[in-house]
Amino acid sequence: MSDYIKLDSDKISEGVKTIMDLGGHGILKCVQCGACSAVCPGVKAGFPVLCRLLIKKVLNGQLEEIIEESSSWGCQACNRCTEICPQGVRPQEVVFAFRRYQANDLAVSTSAMTSQMNLHSYGHAVFTDARELRQKVGLPPEPPTSAYNEKAQKEIQTLLEKGPMGELGIF
Amino acid sequence: MEKFGLYLGCNIPFKAPDIEQSFRKVFPVLGVDLEDLEGATCCPAWGTAPSFDLDTWCAISSRNITLAEEKNLNLMTGCNSCFGVLSEAKHFIEDDPARKKRVNQSLSEIGRQFKGSTDIYHVSHVLYESVGLEKIKESLVYSLDGLKAAIQPGCHTLWPSDVYHVKEKNPFFPTILKELTQALGAEVPHYSRLEFCCGMGGMRSTDAEKSLKLFTDKLLSMKEEIDPDFIVTTCSSCFLQFDMSQPILKERGVIDFTIPVFYYTQVLALALGFDPAQVAAISQTPRDEVIAEIQSEKRKIQK
Repeated sequence: MSDYIKLDSDKISEGVKTIMDLGGHGILKCVQCGACSAVCPGVKAGFPVLCRLLIKKVLNGQLEEIIEESSSWGCQACNRCTEICPQGVRPQEVVFAFRRYQANDLAVSTSAMTSQMNLHSYGHAVFTDARELRQKVGLPPEPPTSAYNEKAQKEIQTLLEKGPMGELGIF
Repeated sequence: MEKFGLYLGCNIPFKAPDIEQSFRKVFPVLGVDLEDLEGATCCPAWGTAPSFDLDTWCAISSRNITLAEEKNLNLMTGCNSCFGVLSEAKHFIEDDPARKKRVNQSLSEIGRQFKGSTDIYHVSHVLYESVGLEKIKESLVYSLDGLKAAIQPGCHTLWPSDVYHVKEKNPFFPTILKELTQALGAEVPHYSRLEFCCGMGGMRSTDAEKSLKLFTDKLLSMKEEIDPDFIVTTCSSCFLQFDMSQPILKERGVIDFTIPVFYYTQVLALALGFDPAQVAAISQTPRDEVIAEIQSEKRKIQK
Protein backbone atom coordinates (compact mmCIF):
# COMPACT_ATOMS: atom_id res chain seq x y z
CA MET A 1 0.00 0.00 0.00
CA SER A 2 3.04 2.28 -0.06
CA ASP A 3 2.01 3.97 -3.35
CA TYR A 4 -1.45 4.77 -2.09
CA ILE A 5 -2.26 8.49 -2.39
CA LYS A 6 -4.75 9.88 0.09
CA LEU A 7 -6.40 12.88 -1.54
CA ASP A 8 -6.81 15.85 0.78
CA SER A 9 -8.82 18.75 -0.64
CA ASP A 10 -7.10 21.35 1.56
CA LYS A 11 -3.69 20.21 0.39
CA ILE A 12 -4.84 20.24 -3.23
CA SER A 13 -6.24 23.79 -3.00
CA GLU A 14 -3.17 25.03 -1.16
CA GLY A 15 -0.77 23.48 -3.69
CA VAL A 16 -2.69 24.78 -6.69
CA LYS A 17 -2.86 28.28 -5.17
CA THR A 18 0.87 28.27 -4.41
CA ILE A 19 1.71 27.30 -8.00
CA MET A 20 -0.73 29.83 -9.48
CA ASP A 21 0.60 32.64 -7.26
CA LEU A 22 4.14 31.84 -8.42
CA GLY A 23 3.23 32.11 -12.12
CA GLY A 24 1.66 28.75 -13.08
CA HIS A 25 -1.71 30.33 -13.89
CA GLY A 26 -2.88 27.66 -16.34
CA ILE A 27 -2.55 24.58 -14.15
CA LEU A 28 -6.29 24.00 -13.71
CA LYS A 29 -6.84 23.83 -17.47
CA CYS A 30 -4.75 20.64 -17.67
CA VAL A 31 -6.58 17.52 -18.88
CA GLN A 32 -3.52 15.26 -18.42
CA CYS A 33 -3.29 14.42 -22.13
CA GLY A 34 0.51 14.23 -21.95
CA ALA A 35 1.26 16.13 -25.19
CA CYS A 36 3.72 18.27 -23.18
CA SER A 37 5.69 15.32 -21.83
CA ALA A 38 5.79 13.74 -25.30
CA VAL A 39 7.80 16.69 -26.69
CA CYS A 40 9.80 17.49 -23.51
CA PRO A 41 13.59 17.02 -23.86
CA GLY A 42 13.83 16.82 -20.06
CA VAL A 43 11.44 13.87 -19.89
CA LYS A 44 13.28 12.25 -22.82
CA ALA A 45 16.60 12.64 -20.97
CA GLY A 46 15.28 11.08 -17.77
CA PHE A 47 13.82 13.84 -15.61
CA PRO A 48 10.36 12.34 -15.12
CA VAL A 49 8.63 14.87 -12.85
CA LEU A 50 8.14 17.60 -15.46
CA CYS A 51 5.13 18.73 -17.47
CA ARG A 52 2.22 16.26 -17.16
CA LEU A 53 3.54 14.32 -14.15
CA LEU A 54 4.51 17.44 -12.21
CA ILE A 55 1.05 18.91 -12.81
CA LYS A 56 -0.55 15.61 -11.76
CA LYS A 57 1.37 15.58 -8.49
CA VAL A 58 0.36 19.15 -7.69
CA LEU A 59 -3.27 18.34 -8.56
CA ASN A 60 -3.02 15.34 -6.22
CA GLY A 61 -2.00 17.62 -3.35
CA GLN A 62 1.57 16.31 -3.26
CA LEU A 63 3.37 19.65 -3.67
CA GLU A 64 5.02 19.60 -0.25
CA GLU A 65 6.28 16.04 -0.54
CA ILE A 66 8.04 16.67 -3.87
CA ILE A 67 9.90 19.82 -2.78
CA GLU A 68 13.28 18.07 -3.11
CA GLU A 69 12.46 16.64 -6.58
CA SER A 70 15.37 17.47 -8.89
CA SER A 71 13.57 16.91 -12.22
CA SER A 72 12.51 20.57 -12.40
CA TRP A 73 16.16 21.64 -12.71
CA GLY A 74 16.47 19.48 -15.84
CA CYS A 75 13.90 21.72 -17.57
CA GLN A 76 15.51 23.42 -20.57
CA ALA A 77 12.96 26.25 -20.57
CA CYS A 78 12.45 25.45 -24.26
CA ASN A 79 8.67 25.91 -24.21
CA ARG A 80 7.94 23.03 -26.58
CA CYS A 81 5.28 22.12 -23.99
CA THR A 82 3.70 25.58 -24.18
CA GLU A 83 3.57 25.41 -27.97
CA ILE A 84 2.01 21.94 -28.13
CA CYS A 85 -0.48 22.17 -25.24
CA PRO A 86 -4.04 22.09 -26.65
CA GLN A 87 -5.47 23.55 -23.43
CA GLY A 88 -3.35 26.68 -23.01
CA VAL A 89 -1.82 25.46 -19.74
CA ARG A 90 1.66 26.82 -20.56
CA PRO A 91 3.31 23.92 -18.66
CA GLN A 92 6.73 25.60 -18.58
CA GLU A 93 5.25 28.32 -16.41
CA VAL A 94 4.03 25.61 -14.01
CA VAL A 95 7.53 24.08 -13.96
CA PHE A 96 9.07 27.48 -13.23
CA ALA A 97 6.45 28.22 -10.57
CA PHE A 98 7.47 24.91 -8.97
CA ARG A 99 11.15 25.89 -9.20
CA ARG A 100 10.29 29.16 -7.41
CA TYR A 101 8.48 27.19 -4.71
CA GLN A 102 11.62 25.07 -4.29
CA ALA A 103 14.06 27.98 -4.53
CA ASN A 104 12.20 30.03 -1.93
CA ASP A 105 12.88 27.16 0.46
CA LEU A 106 16.46 26.98 -0.84
CA ALA A 107 15.76 23.47 -2.21
CA VAL A 108 18.30 24.05 -4.97
CA SER A 109 21.69 22.50 -5.60
CA THR A 110 24.66 24.29 -4.07
CA SER A 111 26.28 24.49 -7.52
CA ALA A 112 23.39 26.72 -8.65
CA MET A 113 24.50 29.30 -6.07
CA THR A 114 27.64 30.21 -8.02
CA SER A 115 25.56 31.70 -10.84
CA GLN A 116 23.50 33.72 -8.33
CA MET A 117 26.70 35.11 -6.80
CA ASN A 118 28.18 35.88 -10.22
CA LEU A 119 24.98 37.63 -11.27
CA HIS A 120 25.09 39.74 -8.13
CA SER A 121 28.82 40.58 -8.31
CA TYR A 122 29.38 41.10 -12.03
CA GLY A 123 25.87 41.24 -13.49
CA HIS A 124 26.70 38.02 -15.36
CA ALA A 125 25.59 34.52 -14.34
CA VAL A 126 28.45 33.20 -16.47
CA PHE A 127 31.64 35.14 -15.90
CA THR A 128 35.30 34.42 -16.58
CA ASP A 129 38.24 36.71 -17.11
CA ALA A 130 38.29 36.61 -20.92
CA ARG A 131 40.42 39.70 -21.48
CA GLU A 132 43.28 37.81 -23.10
CA LEU A 133 40.96 35.72 -25.27
CA ARG A 134 39.10 38.82 -26.42
CA GLN A 135 42.30 40.62 -27.35
CA LYS A 136 43.45 37.58 -29.28
CA VAL A 137 40.46 37.91 -31.62
CA GLY A 138 40.93 41.66 -31.99
CA LEU A 139 38.29 42.89 -29.53
CA PRO A 140 38.75 45.38 -26.69
CA PRO A 141 39.72 43.31 -23.60
CA GLU A 142 36.71 44.47 -21.60
CA PRO A 143 33.24 43.99 -23.11
CA PRO A 144 30.87 46.98 -22.85
CA THR A 145 28.70 45.12 -20.33
CA SER A 146 28.25 45.37 -16.56
CA ALA A 147 31.34 43.16 -16.02
CA TYR A 148 33.63 46.20 -15.83
CA ASN A 149 31.01 48.85 -15.10
CA GLU A 150 30.54 49.73 -11.43
CA LYS A 151 27.38 51.78 -11.96
CA ALA A 152 25.69 48.91 -13.80
CA GLN A 153 26.75 46.48 -11.04
CA LYS A 154 25.22 48.75 -8.39
CA GLU A 155 21.98 48.86 -10.39
CA ILE A 156 21.61 45.09 -10.66
CA GLN A 157 22.57 44.67 -7.00
CA THR A 158 19.77 47.05 -6.05
CA LEU A 159 17.25 45.10 -8.16
CA LEU A 160 18.36 41.75 -6.71
CA GLU A 161 18.66 42.79 -3.08
CA LYS A 162 15.27 44.47 -2.77
CA GLY A 163 13.39 41.39 -4.04
CA PRO A 164 12.76 37.94 -2.53
CA MET A 165 16.24 36.77 -3.57
CA GLY A 166 17.71 39.37 -1.26
CA GLU A 167 15.44 38.25 1.56
CA LEU A 168 16.72 34.68 1.16
CA GLY A 169 20.15 35.97 2.14
CA ILE A 170 21.98 34.29 -0.72
CA PHE A 171 24.15 37.29 -1.63
CA MET B 1 21.44 52.13 -42.49
CA GLU B 2 19.24 50.17 -40.14
CA LYS B 3 20.61 50.09 -36.61
CA PHE B 4 20.22 47.67 -33.69
CA GLY B 5 21.35 47.72 -30.07
CA LEU B 6 23.75 44.76 -29.71
CA TYR B 7 22.94 42.78 -26.59
CA LEU B 8 25.84 40.41 -25.84
CA GLY B 9 24.69 38.26 -22.91
CA CYS B 10 27.36 36.19 -21.09
CA ASN B 11 28.53 33.17 -23.12
CA ILE B 12 29.39 35.09 -26.28
CA PRO B 13 31.61 37.87 -24.79
CA PHE B 14 33.33 35.61 -22.22
CA LYS B 15 33.47 32.13 -23.78
CA ALA B 16 33.22 32.72 -27.52
CA PRO B 17 34.34 36.29 -28.25
CA ASP B 18 35.14 35.22 -31.82
CA ILE B 19 31.36 34.94 -32.29
CA GLU B 20 31.01 38.52 -31.00
CA GLN B 21 33.73 39.60 -33.42
CA SER B 22 31.89 37.87 -36.28
CA PHE B 23 28.78 40.00 -35.51
CA ARG B 24 30.88 43.16 -35.50
CA LYS B 25 32.42 42.23 -38.86
CA VAL B 26 29.46 40.93 -40.86
CA PHE B 27 26.61 43.29 -39.98
CA PRO B 28 28.13 46.60 -41.18
CA VAL B 29 29.13 44.91 -44.48
CA LEU B 30 25.50 43.81 -44.89
CA GLY B 31 24.12 47.29 -44.18
CA VAL B 32 23.24 46.97 -40.49
CA ASP B 33 24.83 49.22 -37.86
CA LEU B 34 25.36 47.87 -34.37
CA GLU B 35 25.45 50.03 -31.27
CA ASP B 36 26.70 48.70 -27.93
CA LEU B 37 24.35 48.66 -24.94
CA GLU B 38 26.76 49.87 -22.26
CA GLY B 39 26.25 48.32 -18.86
CA ALA B 40 24.00 45.48 -20.04
CA THR B 41 23.85 42.55 -17.61
CA CYS B 42 22.89 38.89 -17.91
CA CYS B 43 19.38 38.54 -19.37
CA PRO B 44 18.99 36.98 -16.49
CA ALA B 45 19.68 33.28 -17.21
CA TRP B 46 16.87 30.76 -16.62
CA GLY B 47 18.59 29.24 -13.58
CA THR B 48 18.91 32.58 -11.80
CA ALA B 49 16.14 35.14 -11.15
CA PRO B 50 13.52 33.40 -13.39
CA SER B 51 13.78 30.36 -11.08
CA PHE B 52 13.36 32.50 -7.93
CA ASP B 53 10.94 35.34 -8.60
CA LEU B 54 8.98 36.44 -11.66
CA ASP B 55 9.07 40.17 -10.82
CA THR B 56 12.84 40.17 -10.21
CA TRP B 57 13.29 38.44 -13.59
CA CYS B 58 11.11 41.07 -15.28
CA ALA B 59 12.94 43.93 -13.53
CA ILE B 60 16.39 42.74 -14.64
CA SER B 61 15.26 41.95 -18.19
CA SER B 62 13.46 45.25 -18.54
CA ARG B 63 16.52 47.14 -17.28
CA ASN B 64 18.43 45.59 -20.19
CA ILE B 65 15.65 46.50 -22.60
CA THR B 66 15.61 50.13 -21.38
CA LEU B 67 19.26 50.44 -22.48
CA ALA B 68 18.02 50.04 -26.07
CA GLU B 69 14.89 52.13 -25.45
CA GLU B 70 17.06 55.07 -24.39
CA LYS B 71 18.76 54.92 -27.79
CA ASN B 72 15.45 54.46 -29.65
CA LEU B 73 16.73 51.18 -31.01
CA ASN B 74 15.42 47.66 -31.30
CA LEU B 75 17.55 45.09 -29.55
CA MET B 76 19.40 42.22 -31.23
CA THR B 77 20.96 39.28 -29.43
CA GLY B 78 22.89 36.27 -30.70
CA CYS B 79 22.13 34.08 -27.69
CA ASN B 80 18.95 32.01 -27.95
CA SER B 81 18.48 31.92 -24.18
CA CYS B 82 18.79 35.70 -23.89
CA PHE B 83 16.31 36.03 -26.74
CA GLY B 84 13.81 33.78 -24.97
CA VAL B 85 14.30 35.35 -21.53
CA LEU B 86 14.02 38.96 -22.74
CA SER B 87 11.07 38.24 -25.05
CA GLU B 88 9.14 36.40 -22.37
CA ALA B 89 9.85 39.03 -19.74
CA LYS B 90 8.57 41.72 -22.10
CA HIS B 91 5.46 39.60 -22.71
CA PHE B 92 4.87 39.08 -18.96
CA ILE B 93 5.20 42.82 -18.29
CA GLU B 94 2.96 43.94 -21.14
CA ASP B 95 0.39 41.24 -20.40
CA ASP B 96 -0.18 42.45 -16.83
CA PRO B 97 -0.57 46.18 -16.06
CA ALA B 98 -0.11 45.54 -12.32
CA ARG B 99 3.21 43.81 -12.99
CA LYS B 100 4.31 46.66 -15.26
CA LYS B 101 3.62 49.06 -12.42
CA ARG B 102 5.61 46.98 -9.92
CA VAL B 103 8.51 46.57 -12.36
CA ASN B 104 8.63 50.28 -13.04
CA GLN B 105 8.58 50.94 -9.29
CA SER B 106 11.71 48.80 -8.95
CA LEU B 107 13.32 50.44 -11.96
CA SER B 108 12.59 53.92 -10.58
CA GLU B 109 15.00 53.13 -7.72
CA ILE B 110 17.80 52.96 -10.26
CA GLY B 111 16.51 55.91 -12.27
CA ARG B 112 15.01 53.93 -15.14
CA GLN B 113 11.62 53.36 -16.72
CA PHE B 114 10.37 50.59 -19.00
CA LYS B 115 8.18 51.87 -21.81
CA GLY B 116 7.92 48.87 -24.09
CA SER B 117 9.03 50.70 -27.23
CA THR B 118 11.92 48.34 -28.06
CA ASP B 119 11.36 45.04 -29.86
CA ILE B 120 13.58 42.00 -29.28
CA TYR B 121 15.22 40.31 -32.27
CA HIS B 122 17.61 37.43 -32.69
CA VAL B 123 20.65 37.65 -34.99
CA SER B 124 19.03 35.09 -37.30
CA HIS B 125 15.89 37.24 -37.57
CA VAL B 126 17.86 40.36 -38.50
CA LEU B 127 19.81 38.42 -41.12
CA TYR B 128 16.67 36.82 -42.53
CA GLU B 129 14.26 39.78 -42.42
CA SER B 130 16.30 43.00 -42.40
CA VAL B 131 19.31 41.91 -44.47
CA GLY B 132 17.65 39.25 -46.59
CA LEU B 133 18.97 36.23 -48.48
CA GLU B 134 19.70 38.17 -51.70
CA LYS B 135 21.94 40.70 -49.96
CA ILE B 136 23.85 37.85 -48.30
CA LYS B 137 24.28 36.03 -51.64
CA GLU B 138 25.55 39.09 -53.50
CA SER B 139 28.06 39.96 -50.72
CA LEU B 140 29.81 36.56 -50.71
CA VAL B 141 33.53 36.36 -51.50
CA TYR B 142 33.74 32.56 -51.22
CA SER B 143 31.07 30.06 -52.21
CA LEU B 144 30.27 27.05 -50.04
CA ASP B 145 28.99 25.19 -53.08
CA GLY B 146 29.34 21.41 -52.67
CA LEU B 147 29.81 21.54 -48.89
CA LYS B 148 27.21 19.85 -46.71
CA ALA B 149 25.93 21.45 -43.52
CA ALA B 150 23.82 20.11 -40.66
CA ILE B 151 21.81 22.87 -39.04
CA GLN B 152 21.02 23.28 -35.34
CA PRO B 153 18.45 26.07 -34.80
CA GLY B 154 18.22 25.56 -31.02
CA CYS B 155 15.10 26.00 -28.90
CA HIS B 156 14.45 29.53 -27.72
CA THR B 157 13.88 31.24 -31.08
CA LEU B 158 11.17 28.71 -31.90
CA TRP B 159 8.90 28.33 -28.88
CA PRO B 160 6.60 29.77 -27.56
CA SER B 161 5.84 31.30 -30.96
CA ASP B 162 3.03 33.47 -29.57
CA VAL B 163 5.49 35.85 -27.84
CA TYR B 164 7.94 36.27 -30.77
CA HIS B 165 7.76 38.77 -33.64
CA VAL B 166 9.48 36.64 -36.23
CA LYS B 167 7.83 33.26 -36.51
CA GLU B 168 8.68 30.10 -38.39
CA LYS B 169 5.77 28.76 -40.48
CA ASN B 170 6.03 25.62 -38.35
CA PRO B 171 8.36 25.89 -35.34
CA PHE B 172 8.68 22.10 -35.21
CA PHE B 173 10.00 22.20 -38.80
CA PRO B 174 12.09 25.39 -38.83
CA THR B 175 13.48 26.73 -42.12
CA ILE B 176 15.10 30.14 -41.39
CA LEU B 177 18.57 28.76 -40.60
CA LYS B 178 18.27 26.30 -43.49
CA GLU B 179 17.62 29.12 -45.95
CA LEU B 180 20.38 31.28 -44.46
CA THR B 181 22.87 28.42 -44.83
CA GLN B 182 21.71 27.58 -48.35
CA ALA B 183 22.29 31.25 -49.24
CA LEU B 184 26.02 30.60 -48.68
CA GLY B 185 25.90 27.92 -51.38
CA ALA B 186 25.97 24.95 -48.99
CA GLU B 187 23.75 21.92 -49.23
CA VAL B 188 21.50 21.53 -46.16
CA PRO B 189 19.84 18.11 -46.09
CA HIS B 190 17.08 17.29 -43.62
CA TYR B 191 17.78 14.92 -40.73
CA SER B 192 15.16 13.39 -38.48
CA ARG B 193 16.19 15.04 -35.18
CA LEU B 194 16.49 18.54 -36.65
CA GLU B 195 14.42 20.33 -34.00
CA PHE B 196 15.67 18.22 -31.06
CA CYS B 197 17.34 19.80 -28.05
CA CYS B 198 21.16 19.51 -27.80
CA GLY B 199 21.07 19.00 -24.03
CA MET B 200 22.90 22.19 -23.03
CA GLY B 201 21.39 24.60 -20.51
CA GLY B 202 20.02 23.75 -17.10
CA MET B 203 20.09 20.07 -17.95
CA ARG B 204 23.85 20.02 -18.43
CA SER B 205 24.62 21.61 -15.07
CA THR B 206 22.01 19.42 -13.33
CA ASP B 207 23.09 16.07 -14.80
CA ALA B 208 25.91 16.07 -17.38
CA GLU B 209 25.43 12.40 -18.26
CA LYS B 210 21.74 12.79 -19.11
CA SER B 211 22.65 15.86 -21.16
CA LEU B 212 25.38 13.97 -23.03
CA LYS B 213 23.00 11.12 -23.83
CA LEU B 214 20.56 13.53 -25.47
CA PHE B 215 23.47 15.17 -27.30
CA THR B 216 24.82 11.81 -28.54
CA ASP B 217 21.44 10.87 -30.05
CA LYS B 218 21.32 14.16 -31.91
CA LEU B 219 24.92 14.03 -33.11
CA LEU B 220 24.61 10.44 -34.35
CA SER B 221 21.41 11.35 -36.18
CA MET B 222 23.33 14.05 -38.06
CA LYS B 223 26.29 11.81 -38.77
CA GLU B 224 24.43 8.68 -39.84
CA GLU B 225 21.71 10.38 -41.86
CA ILE B 226 23.58 13.16 -43.68
CA ASP B 227 27.31 12.95 -42.78
CA PRO B 228 27.85 16.73 -42.86
CA ASP B 229 31.13 18.62 -43.48
CA PHE B 230 30.21 20.96 -40.63
CA ILE B 231 27.44 21.96 -38.24
CA VAL B 232 25.93 25.45 -38.23
CA THR B 233 23.94 26.86 -35.35
CA THR B 234 22.40 30.19 -34.42
CA CYS B 235 22.44 29.38 -30.69
CA SER B 236 25.56 30.11 -28.65
CA SER B 237 24.60 27.48 -26.05
CA CYS B 238 24.19 24.82 -28.73
CA PHE B 239 27.55 25.93 -30.13
CA LEU B 240 29.25 25.37 -26.76
CA GLN B 241 27.60 21.96 -26.31
CA PHE B 242 28.60 20.72 -29.78
CA ASP B 243 32.10 22.15 -29.40
CA MET B 244 32.96 20.92 -25.90
CA SER B 245 31.07 17.61 -25.85
CA GLN B 246 32.34 16.03 -29.07
CA PRO B 247 35.92 15.70 -27.70
CA ILE B 248 34.48 14.12 -24.51
CA LEU B 249 32.53 11.52 -26.49
CA LYS B 250 35.57 10.80 -28.67
CA GLU B 251 37.81 10.37 -25.64
CA ARG B 252 35.30 7.89 -24.20
CA GLY B 253 35.16 5.95 -27.47
CA VAL B 254 31.46 6.71 -28.02
CA ILE B 255 32.27 8.29 -31.40
CA ASP B 256 35.23 7.85 -33.74
CA PHE B 257 34.74 11.19 -35.56
CA THR B 258 34.18 14.85 -34.79
CA ILE B 259 32.28 17.34 -36.92
CA PRO B 260 33.46 20.98 -37.07
CA VAL B 261 30.92 23.38 -35.60
CA PHE B 262 30.30 27.09 -36.21
CA TYR B 263 27.91 29.78 -35.13
CA TYR B 264 26.20 30.91 -38.36
CA THR B 265 27.83 34.35 -38.49
CA GLN B 266 31.26 32.70 -38.22
CA VAL B 267 30.70 30.74 -41.44
CA LEU B 268 29.17 33.84 -42.98
CA ALA B 269 32.21 35.92 -41.95
CA LEU B 270 34.53 33.31 -43.48
CA ALA B 271 32.49 33.37 -46.70
CA LEU B 272 32.75 37.17 -46.68
CA GLY B 273 36.54 36.83 -46.49
CA PHE B 274 37.21 37.83 -42.88
CA ASP B 275 40.27 36.56 -41.00
CA PRO B 276 39.58 33.24 -39.22
CA ALA B 277 42.03 34.31 -36.48
CA GLN B 278 39.39 36.90 -35.51
CA VAL B 279 36.03 35.37 -36.41
CA ALA B 280 36.54 31.62 -35.93
CA ALA B 281 39.53 31.27 -33.61
CA ILE B 282 38.30 29.46 -30.51
CA SER B 283 37.18 25.84 -30.53
CA GLN B 284 37.87 22.53 -28.84
CA THR B 285 36.53 20.51 -31.77
CA PRO B 286 39.01 20.94 -34.63
CA ARG B 287 37.81 23.00 -37.59
CA ASP B 288 40.98 24.36 -39.26
CA GLU B 289 40.64 22.01 -42.22
CA VAL B 290 37.15 23.10 -43.19
CA ILE B 291 38.06 26.78 -42.58
CA ALA B 292 40.95 26.41 -45.08
CA GLU B 293 38.58 24.68 -47.50
CA ILE B 294 35.98 27.47 -47.23
CA GLN B 295 38.59 30.16 -47.92
CA SER B 296 40.42 28.22 -50.66
CA GLU B 297 41.32 29.98 -53.91
CA LYS B 298 39.05 27.75 -56.00
CA ARG B 299 35.99 28.90 -54.03
CA LYS B 300 36.57 32.60 -54.79
CA ILE B 301 33.58 34.05 -56.59
CA GLN B 302 34.52 35.88 -59.80
CA LYS B 303 32.80 39.27 -59.91
